[in-house]
Amino acid sequence: MKKGLLFFLILFLCLGCDKEASTQKKLNVLNWSSYIPTEVIMDFEKQTGISVNYSTYSSNEELLAKISNVKKGTYDLIFPSDYMIEIMIGKNLLEKMDQSKLHNMKNLNTSYLGLKYDPQNNYSLPFIAATTLIAVNTEKIHDNITSYNDLLNPKYYNDIVLIDDQRIIIGMALLANGYDMNSTNEEELKVAKNWLLKLKPNIKAYDSDSPKNFLISKEASIAVLWNAEGALAMQENPMIKSFFPKEGIALSIDNFAIPIGAKNLDAAYSFINYILNPEVMKAIIESYPYKNVNWLTDHILDAKYLTNPASNISNQAFQSGHFVNNIGAGIKLYDKLWIEIK
Amino acid sequence: MASKKRIIKVVFLLPVIVYSIFLIFLPLLYIFTISFYKSDSYGGMIHTITFENYWELFDAVYVKIFLQSFIIAIITTIICVLIAYPFVLAVSHKKKQTQQVLMTMVMVPFLTNSLIRMYGWIVLLRKSGIINSLLTGLSIIDEPLPLMYNNLGIVIGMVYTLLPFMILPLYSSVSTIENSLLEASSDLGANKIKTFFHIILPQTFPGLFNGALMVFTPALGYFFIVDILGGGKIMILGNLIKNQFLTARNWPLGAAISVTILLIITIVILVYRKLGGKMDDLGGV
Amino acid sequence: MKHNKKLDNFCLILVMIFLFLPIFVLILFSFNTSRLNIVFEGFTFHWYKDLFSNRMLLDSLGNTLIVAVISTLISTIVGTISAYALKKYDFPFKNFINELLYIPVVIPEIVLGISLLCIYTVLKFELGMMTLILSHISFSIPFVIISVRSVLEQMDPNLEQAASDLGASKLKTFFYIVIPSLMPGIFSGAQLAFTLSLDDVVISYFTAGPDSNTLPLQIYSMIKTGVTPDVNALITIMLLIIFLVLCVSMVINIRNLNKGELK
Repeated sequence: MKKGLLFFLILFLCLGCDKEASTQKKLNVLNWSSYIPTEVIMDFEKQTGISVNYSTYSSNEELLAKISNVKKGTYDLIFPSDYMIEIMIGKNLLEKMDQSKLHNMKNLNTSYLGLKYDPQNNYSLPFIAATTLIAVNTEKIHDNITSYNDLLNPKYYNDIVLIDDQRIIIGMALLANGYDMNSTNEEELKVAKNWLLKLKPNIKAYDSDSPKNFLISKEASIAVLWNAEGALAMQENPMIKSFFPKEGIALSIDNFAIPIGAKNLDAAYSFINYILNPEVMKAIIESYPYKNVNWLTDHILDAKYLTNPASNISNQAFQSGHFVNNIGAGIKLYDKLWIEIK
Repeated sequence: MASKKRIIKVVFLLPVIVYSIFLIFLPLLYIFTISFYKSDSYGGMIHTITFENYWELFDAVYVKIFLQSFIIAIITTIICVLIAYPFVLAVSHKKKQTQQVLMTMVMVPFLTNSLIRMYGWIVLLRKSGIINSLLTGLSIIDEPLPLMYNNLGIVIGMVYTLLPFMILPLYSSVSTIENSLLEASSDLGANKIKTFFHIILPQTFPGLFNGALMVFTPALGYFFIVDILGGGKIMILGNLIKNQFLTARNWPLGAAISVTILLIITIVILVYRKLGGKMDDLGGV
Repeated sequence: MKHNKKLDNFCLILVMIFLFLPIFVLILFSFNTSRLNIVFEGFTFHWYKDLFSNRMLLDSLGNTLIVAVISTLISTIVGTISAYALKKYDFPFKNFINELLYIPVVIPEIVLGISLLCIYTVLKFELGMMTLILSHISFSIPFVIISVRSVLEQMDPNLEQAASDLGASKLKTFFYIVIPSLMPGIFSGAQLAFTLSLDDVVISYFTAGPDSNTLPLQIYSMIKTGVTPDVNALITIMLLIIFLVLCVSMVINIRNLNKGELK
């Protein structure tokens, strides 16, 4: 009897696999966690009849590890950031996009096209831009924060939360000391390390999950975080204000890209076109108030987004920002430094 | 008849052999092999044989992480033992039915998601959290206690997550102690403490060892507890391995760390066996 | 032997509070009006309604249950047979295999996850439900084997001999004598396997495919923007179901125990 059961189980498994191979159009998306609201995906499914399988990752490196180790054709659409596009092109992991099928590409703000990580936009189209910023609860902190060096003030003992991202935080330390954010110079990195050790007593936590909650719950008064997080915190508590340090902020642009060997190319194109629709982009931007890169959407966004300096980052702040670059073997220096300061 | 016996033997043995070769041995061999490779800057691997990765582990930064992790794991294990022993003994004094109810209740929280449970702890331990509000409200303390975003938070999270792995094996070995033995000891005038050290402890030692192993090993690796309740301010081996595989893209070094951990644990088990310990006392609710 | 009842009860209550405190907080916050799990602001059933329109969350729950049930079934069957076979039979490399079986128990999960992913790639398996189930089976089997083995060690060896003396075939003895007497070990092994599968994030992270998002993975991905109370609502409902199932099984168990005592 047990064997009979086992037999049926195996049969059931095989049937299960068969069902998955059925002909319904589908799209396998691998995206950052919480970047596109569920409703947007469900509307897309309703409109096109394509069923979306949506999975997530939480860092570019995780994405790289996954894409370079799964069988080709497992995923159809991914969202790497700027420097990761460069790496993935180098490792021949991306499919060339057929721009003639991307009719909504025209909606994109041209200042985010043709950037140096993909000059012809052969492999990628921008989806959203993000910057870091310093968010401060002005109920508790009355100082004007104009520089990263202001964070070293011993007044802020155990009161600062930072995103748990080694490139951003070490980059911040480099910027604070007047160096390039992507420096691999050992002397400069040593200075950055000492700066971070000096900052250490002030750090309450490193949190890349939801640093905004530290501000909202008043667990910490100062946070270095991504702009959408800052904007959401400001919506919860108007006393939270954003500051852009004079040394410049970190920038990141996340892009649509198609991994090589993708099986559902047409579905991927129609998903990109759908997202680039101004109304759809508006829904996304309102849930996750990052910097919008769609110029048609700019016209229909409401005042809450446009007037918030943390969501609608000024061009001036953006121009003074710095991208995280691929630094090749230099990453090992960062990696070790990160362990040393923790 | 003999051939039929053979067939049965093969049928019975085949699953475990296939399983241990394809799902344990091969993956492990892979990790072992890449721990001797070199990493290139793009996260790829150069297929040579080098001991560099192992040498690198002697660097002060890595030694520090090994020490930190071991200290946290040892403290976690000790606290688990200190909680589990009185609990398990108290359970064993109850009627059989009550015992079953209690042991089932121990498992209930663990059928929910572990990440979500950590969020429950945040609400409890925060500066303005339930425990601190209660204590300040009752004027027991003036200032909120720093209960999390430090090592205390990490240990609370670890103990909470791993406690059942200590309770289960300990319970199954406590329940095998003959009641007559305890009675004899008490009849002979031994006090509680003496009975514990001379009868209960030696009898339950296999359960204790297994429990300790089941608590200690995961405690080296649970990076999400360090990140959520510890505020991500320190690193344990789990963070380090995750970091090497996912952020630094240095798989060979990550593999070398894993092999080292495996080696240390194997040595502990071997020593235990040499001393006459048995390993099969894990289950049993 | 006299026990201090008060001390016993005190100890039991303390541990239970420790174990259930965060669970009560989770349940409480599933009725919270605020979207953020920070302060309790007011009472609502809103999130329960939300939960049933959250397709992704429900899909992931479905996947989790499918994976947990199938992997528990298979690993329990394979684990039980293996524990028995490893005790009964001798074969080359037996010791080696015995040692191997401890490795999934003591290896850091992330290492097992990554190495399984690499093996699937080498074998050209496409990531999906199959690979996910296979991975869950692979970390569950040792737990089943270990817990079955502990009962096997205590089993009376004469029992099998007696059955075969009475003319029962090997298979008959196995199914009618061995399996029933191993039941406590099999059951606790299965329970462990189910619990581990239900909660696994790290190994699933590497071995799940695009169509096999599980609940822990879904929750892990939600942490970025803060877990919304509909997850708390889901956990509350799950706890309720678990609680009911356990109550029923406990009543049955206790009835059996009572019967046993009457005899």
